[in-house]
Amino acid sequence: MLGPSGCGKTTALRILAGLELPDAGRVLLGDRDVTRLQPRDRDVAMVFQSYALYPHMTVAENIAYPLDLRHVEKTERKRAVQEVAELLEIGHLLDRRPKQLSGGQRQRIALARAIVRDPQAFLMDEPLSNLDAKLRASMRGELKRLQKRLGATTIYVTHDQAEATTMADLVAVLHDGVLEQLGPPLEIYDRPATRFVATFVGSPPLNVLPGILDAERRAFVVTGTPVPLAETVFEACRQHRVTELGVRPEDLAICGPGEAAALPGEVYVVEPLGNETLVQVRIGDSVVALLVGRGWDAPIGAPVGVALEPSTACFFDPDGRSAVHRIDRPEARRPDRAAARGEPQTRERSVL
Amino acid sequence: MATAAAYVARRRRTQGAGLDRVLPYLLLAPTLLLVLAVVVYPIVYGVRQSFLNFRFGHAVGSVGFDNYRQLFHDPAFGQALWVTLKFVALAVTVETVLGLGLALLVAGALPFTRVARLVLVVPMIVTPIVVGIVFRLIYASDVGLLTTLRKDIFGGGPVFILDKGWSAFLGLVALDVWEWTPLMFLILLAGIQSLPVEPFEAARVDGAGGWRIFVDQTLPMLRSVLAVAIALRTIDAFTTFDQVFVLTKGGPGTSTQLISIYGYNTSFKFAEFGYGTAMLLAVALVVLALAALAVRLIRREARQ
Repeated sequence: MLGPSGCGKTTALRILAGLELPDAGRVLLGDRDVTRLQPRDRDVAMVFQSYALYPHMTVAENIAYPLDLRHVEKTERKRAVQEVAELLEIGHLLDRRPKQLSGGQRQRIALARAIVRDPQAFLMDEPLSNLDAKLRASMRGELKRLQKRLGATTIYVTHDQAEATTMADLVAVLHDGVLEQLGPPLEIYDRPATRFVATFVGSPPLNVLPGILDAERRAFVVTGTPVPLAETVFEACRQHRVTELGVRPEDLAICGPGEAAALPGEVYVVEPLGNETLVQVRIGDSVVALLVGRGWDAPIGAPVGVALEPSTACFFDPDGRSAVHRIDRPEARRPDRAAARGEPQTRERSVL
Repeated sequence: MATAAAYVARRRRTQGAGLDRVLPYLLLAPTLLLVLAVVVYPIVYGVRQSFLNFRFGHAVGSVGFDNYRQLFHDPAFGQALWVTLKFVALAVTVETVLGLGLALLVAGALPFTRVARLVLVVPMIVTPIVVGIVFRLIYASDVGLLTTLRKDIFGGGPVFILDKGWSAFLGLVALDVWEWTPLMFLILLAGIQSLPVEPFEAARVDGAGGWRIFVDQTLPMLRSVLAVAIALRTIDAFTTFDQVFVLTKGGPGTSTQLISIYGYNTSFKFAEFGYGTAMLLAVALVVLALAALAVRLIRREARQ
């Protein structure tokens, strides 16, 4: 579950856990209706954002507690704790108390406490958000491996789109308490259902340019420059009365200011990222971001052109819904990127 | 800058007169004198007195530690000590259990907390003497509240509380419970409200029911707050005097004669000021030790 803070993803997770009652609707676990069941009767394990370890218990006691509550025999309990501790490489911490542990270690204990139970589903509420950036990146991979190994359904809440796209089989994008889109990460990326999803997923975010449809020229006009559209795309755009064009930074290219069909702009800022360069260009009242090769540079205010391949653009209607998706044909992509990404699926030109 | 300059100027002025050094002490003097007069002097006087022998209210000579030694041979003191221990143990236990129960009840229902806090604080702010008088009126066998209620509702006879040893003792415990449960309640409520929420939710998801959560989570996490509250209340209960003095004066017999009452009687009824002070100082030392323990607990709590 992906969304900005305050979008309701944690609340949704708490409803799944049984810590909160839904105002309406049902909670199904498999075929079982658990809407009115107490958390303990649901057989789900939760990893809290703050880890929620029991401060007065040792690490071993923390991990064993769910088993203790299920009246698991002491020797069996000990064995299970050992096993999980080994899996998560926390065997040397078992006699410590949570207070004596670092954030990353606490995070592992919280995971261990959830895993030891072998529940039907794992619920994770931003488990990595309290870790520093480096540890977060490595734990992300560890978590994914662990999940694959355990094979249990895991619902993972995060506001970090990188975590969502790297770890999930299915991403649910939430915004203001509304489910905006549910789908595999690449579909979310390539075919965002709404303007919100399109701009929330992807870094740097998708560029949005306002403009108007020109029936005579069969084009979408951005600050006076027509972006010519294919007939089917234009028809779909007209039908939905689109007002905005969206394009990913990697689908834009820099060209000379005078070139035909290029959007004229001026350099807003140039940010070298190492292997590539993020350039922000002011076009009319908007600033678009695009990625170019390393070493590219220009002074602020220098006139440049932005080349836009119409088949990579998507269009939004006035309500922010996607009217036309970005078209995901390999030949429509810049060849260097298409190769690097290893094109997952080839999709026919599609129009909503 | 202006204030710094003014400070230097003032320093120059006062330094010459030597006032600079004396001023802090001068300012402290009123408080210091007051403390010396009403705290230090009585203690020193009392300690000195506890080594003296009195006849008809007059000191007739020093007896060394005899007054203290006598404590071990005085059956009345033993009895008073026993009554005090019984009283403290019973009252503090009941107050802790009730206070904790109320705090848990109120902590769950947040909008209720304010009203409950307001209502429950009332007994604590009533003067102990007045509490004693009120309970005397409640327990009175002729016009008392209990008697009246029994008569009017059940048509029964008068209720006798203060005329039997065990019922008078329980009556006294009930008074103390009424007066001091709110303190326990307030301390424990604050303790409960300062606990983190997540471990309790984690315990619920991990499969704990209400009772296991209470035993495994609430109690251990409240341990230090509980210890401090019990220590404070125990120390206070040891020195209970006013309420007993008004309610039973220690009777019937010696059934409610706490050490404080016995010490008072020894001093002011039998004019044995030396023995009376020795007794109360001995108790004070015990309470002091308890207080030191409580302070240590509070410090440890603060460190955690």
